[in-house]
Amino acid sequence: MPETDSRHQADDPFTSVLVGFARDLRAAGLTVGTGDVLTYFAAMTPLDPTDLVDLYWGGRTTLLSRHQDQAVYDRVFRQYFLGEDAPARSQLMLSPQSVAEAEAALVMPGTEPGPEEDEERPALGWMASNVDALKHRSFTACTPDELAALRRIMTRIRLTPPRRRTRRTRPAARGGTQPDMRATIRASMRMHGEPPGRLYFQERKTKLRPLILILDVSGSMADYSRHLLQFAHTARQAAGRGAAGRVEVFCFGTRLTRITRELAHQRVDAALDEAARAVVDWDGGTRIGQSLDTFVRKWGRNGLCRGGVVVICSDGLDRGDPEVLAKAMERLDRLCHRIVWLNPHKGDDRDFRPNTLGMMVAAPHIDLLLSGHDLASLEELAGTLPALN
Amino acid sequence: MDYPGNVAELTQRLRDGSYLADRGLATSLLVSLSLRRPLLLEGEVGVGKTEVAKVLAAVFGRRLIRLQCYEGISTSQALYEWDYARQMLQIRALSQAEATDERSVDKLFGPKFLLERPLLEAVRQGDRAVLLIDEVDRADDEFEAFLLEVLSDFQISIPELGTVKADSSPVVILTSNRTRELHDALRRRCLYHWIGYPNAEREAEIVAVREPAAAGQLVKKVVAAVQRLRELDMAKPPGVAETIDWVRTLGVLGETDLTQDAADDTLGAVVKDRDDLDLVRENLAEIIAGA
Repeated sequence: MPETDSRHQADDPFTSVLVGFARDLRAAGLTVGTGDVLTYFAAMTPLDPTDLVDLYWGGRTTLLSRHQDQAVYDRVFRQYFLGEDAPARSQLMLSPQSVAEAEAALVMPGTEPGPEEDEERPALGWMASNVDALKHRSFTACTPDELAALRRIMTRIRLTPPRRRTRRTRPAARGGTQPDMRATIRASMRMHGEPPGRLYFQERKTKLRPLILILDVSGSMADYSRHLLQFAHTARQAAGRGAAGRVEVFCFGTRLTRITRELAHQRVDAALDEAARAVVDWDGGTRIGQSLDTFVRKWGRNGLCRGGVVVICSDGLDRGDPEVLAKAMERLDRLCHRIVWLNPHKGDDRDFRPNTLGMMVAAPHIDLLLSGHDLASLEELAGTLPALN
Repeated sequence: MDYPGNVAELTQRLRDGSYLADRGLATSLLVSLSLRRPLLLEGEVGVGKTEVAKVLAAVFGRRLIRLQCYEGISTSQALYEWDYARQMLQIRALSQAEATDERSVDKLFGPKFLLERPLLEAVRQGDRAVLLIDEVDRADDEFEAFLLEVLSDFQISIPELGTVKADSSPVVILTSNRTRELHDALRRRCLYHWIGYPNAEREAEIVAVREPAAAGQLVKKVVAAVQRLRELDMAKPPGVAETIDWVRTLGVLGETDLTQDAADDTLGAVVKDRDDLDLVRENLAEIIAGA
């Protein structure tokens, strides 16, 4: 049968199957736009739409845009194309052999580095089904009045991390360090090549250092964590408007969750909701060492905090191995520029001495210890931050 | 256009260029080639993200144009710049009559004085080039937005010269190490593929292709050892590049077997962190024995 003919005949069930698949992906929480689906269709042209493996990889490359979503994609694909009563199976009349091949592709270890990632970042679909079992009551416990008042005040606090010099230059108004050949020659060209009256100078630009907030949301910190999150949202929003440098936010109790993306939502309530949904170990135990270790391994060594200021908010009540915490702090110390620790238990006590084991272990690596238990202390943080050069 | 029409053919062509692509990567590349969409590659360090572009260029006889991103990269480093010093000399060389002539001034802002940077070069070359935008996560946010503009239209306007547009868009490969979350807009513009660590069998194959002189037994042992290293709780797990390096190092030293002594002496080729070294040395016997 000629190629065009078979394609035409296969057109109808094929279209509805792919659209249905995209719909299922969306239902599972992935962002799949209509444009992505069109690309998926187009992608099947050089591929074989009756081959499940091609359907799998074609979809993965066109519909997915981040690695974390892969586990969800795999699950939906399995359900949709491979399950016993899978909708696609009957419509596409897939041969048992191609189903078996696709099964094999799905468990291929070399191309499925998923599991490790899944643990770190719970898949959305899984989250949705277990929503009741997870504790994220803390945000909802905030009274609207309380939130509104806090928000008003907090939005006024500007977090300005210290600056560092970059390798880029800009024209200096007066007394720069390096002669600016480009500007000088331009000036000269305006005068038909005569030497300009003065030499132009340039100076090095400065840039805000990245700011990394790592917040403890475990049980012992429950009273403070939502304030801190709100604070983080403010800082994050300022970064979005370009008022501050890069801001990254992480949460931990027993494990670390990156919530930078969740906090990107402009409306503070929506952002906090999103964050609450992303953090699964709300109000649970604390494993600071483990969490910081994860941070250093997964993000730190990739350069996320290089040259940046890391602000850790925790009471230092660690239930993990102090050795792990010590190691992680030491590594973190070497990776980033400065470490600030906010310990709410410090309160206004000027002679505060770290009394928990975790704090004592971490102390040698902390550049600045503040309290962060009320708004005033957060303002103090904002005030001292720019000077941490 | 002479790009292959199916996955198997593309895999074979890449293999001819000493690159072993798995089904997923080959599919992504094929789709990217046929739809003319940029491909965003993410993955662990040292799994061959950059290599893909190099091999693509080599195998299909395209020019590889590489834009290495870094913090503070500016458009003049990515697009074009006027050669000021040369313009200066030209002006000095003009006679008085010429200097007042419009045309000679126009010439100053002609192609002769334009320094092409990677993106402009890629747009001019169009189909004849493979554009590699390496480590895009290192560039600033603003640069990403700018990139978006170039990648969607493949046209660049130079005020003095007019608009340069690609007659056919080049093959574009972007790589990222995920030090920073890329914007959704950029992701949406691209196809996406994640390259993970290969399994032992495939890794041995890759090493064999890259280091044909190495003894099969040695390769097998080294790969097994590296796979075990990745299971350890290391700060910087070794990539495929490190495996190849290790085999090469052992080859230079004339070793034909991965003994504990040989491994200890050459650990520096795979383990690049002091704490990791301590950890690996403690478990070295076990790592080698399992191999």
